[in-house]
Amino acid sequence: MKWNKFIISIVLTLNMAATVWAQDSTSVKREKKSQDCEEYCNYVERYQHRWALLVPNQFVVQNAGNMGVLSVGIGWGYGHEHWETHLLFGYIPKHQSTRGKLTMTVKENYIPWNVRLSAPQNTSDGFLKHGWTLNPLTASIYVNTVFGHEFWKLQPSRYPDKYYELMSTKYRLNVAFGQRITWDIPCKYRKCAKSVSLFYEVSSCDFYIRAMYLDSSISLKDIIGLSIGIKLQIM
Amino acid sequence: MKKLLYVLLVLLTSCDDMFSTHPYDVNIKGEKGINSTQSAEIERRFVEKDTLRVAFISDTHLWHSDAKDEVADINNREDIDFVIHCGDLTDTGTTKEFEWSRDILTGLRYPFVALVGNHDFLGVGDQTYCVMYGSMDFSFIANRVKFVCLNTNATEYDYMAAVPNFDYMEEEIIKDSANFDRTIVVMHAPPYSDQFNNNVCKAFRSYLDFFPGLMCCVYGHNHNDKVDDIYEDGLIFYGIDCALHRNYRIMTITPDGYEMEQIYY
Repeated sequence: MKWNKFIISIVLTLNMAATVWAQDSTSVKREKKSQDCEEYCNYVERYQHRWALLVPNQFVVQNAGNMGVLSVGIGWGYGHEHWETHLLFGYIPKHQSTRGKLTMTVKENYIPWNVRLSAPQNTSDGFLKHGWTLNPLTASIYVNTVFGHEFWKLQPSRYPDKYYELMSTKYRLNVAFGQRITWDIPCKYRKCAKSVSLFYEVSSCDFYIRAMYLDSSISLKDIIGLSIGIKLQIM
Repeated sequence: MKKLLYVLLVLLTSCDDMFSTHPYDVNIKGEKGINSTQSAEIERRFVEKDTLRVAFISDTHLWHSDAKDEVADINNREDIDFVIHCGDLTDTGTTKEFEWSRDILTGLRYPFVALVGNHDFLGVGDQTYCVMYGSMDFSFIANRVKFVCLNTNATEYDYMAAVPNFDYMEEEIIKDSANFDRTIVVMHAPPYSDQFNNNVCKAFRSYLDFFPGLMCCVYGHNHNDKVDDIYEDGLIFYGIDCALHRNYRIMTITPDGYEMEQIYY
């Protein structure tokens, strides 16, 4: 398949982000010089503001979770830090198969509570003691797709109707629950992120949940897997 | 910082079991190459024995409770020589499922071999099968009876592979011919089923005639216990039921013939 499609999608994503970024930093200043076209300037500002919402504000690295041995991606946080969308690309090593495989994941996180563990960052001294936040629960649902000709979205036409009914070997629906701890980086130490979070998740996918549902001898501990990761909040 | 990362990496790779990389990661832990070691054991144990007792089970899929009962029932019998699983060890072909079903089958106190079923092909399940069990066409000789196990899941290849493999059948007809007088052919999907390459059903039947002393054929796939003279020429095809229906067959092979017994558990 469609390696080209895969590469094009990455390039487009990066390109879009870069374009919006560039517009944001240069064109506003240029337009502000003009006093005669306030309405237009306001329009451009709003226009840029809207597009700027598309700029990812998170960077995520996590392992396992039925997405590959390691996944790297970008994320968007919104809704008063209660919601997040992650776009991740993962790699499955060759192991005993014929080759390694790439995966892509779209992940939606819901973070109901932010518990402040210490005072906000203020002074330069004792900065490690300040700025800690705990998310006692994160709930996620994500769709993972694996690239390769062996996997199909829906059963190919060679099979009789409803042969492998409602089954896809390519797309996996996963659910995960986890916890997270965040540390706000003091202003003077910030380089590329304003906060860093460590998280873990316990997840399972539709195939395994179905297996547990079909047979009582398959227990919850057989079907769950641990995943740990780091999230950088860029802005 | 570098040291910390290194320690973290070592830690992560050492507790590999806690993490699940992907359902189709083909990262098999535990026993591999089962069919070759087990069939070597069968060939070693049964050279000159009066009667041979073979249990045929099939289509265990995700009915693990039933499969465990099936294994327990076989283990409770004193007179079984070995077990043949006729395919569909899994439901979705994931590595985890292959490991689960293997762990149930290794509970058998008798040697066993397993064929590949169409469900075992899903995703990259065929690759997992080949690592865990071995070649999809295989044979072994026990007590001068050759068991020829064939991959007949042609639909999984969109009929573009040599399935059933006539070259392999031809080889098996003559290979070690001094060591066997009779043949039993085992397959997952029988001729005229949705998995068989039905364009070659009659050619397949013709090839079967070349096997010395062909006794019968055994298959799984259909989830029923039908005993059928498929070609209406006297060659009997024994269907092995799925684990959900809680029955299997024991074949007793004597120097003069054989008997097929259906066991409910």
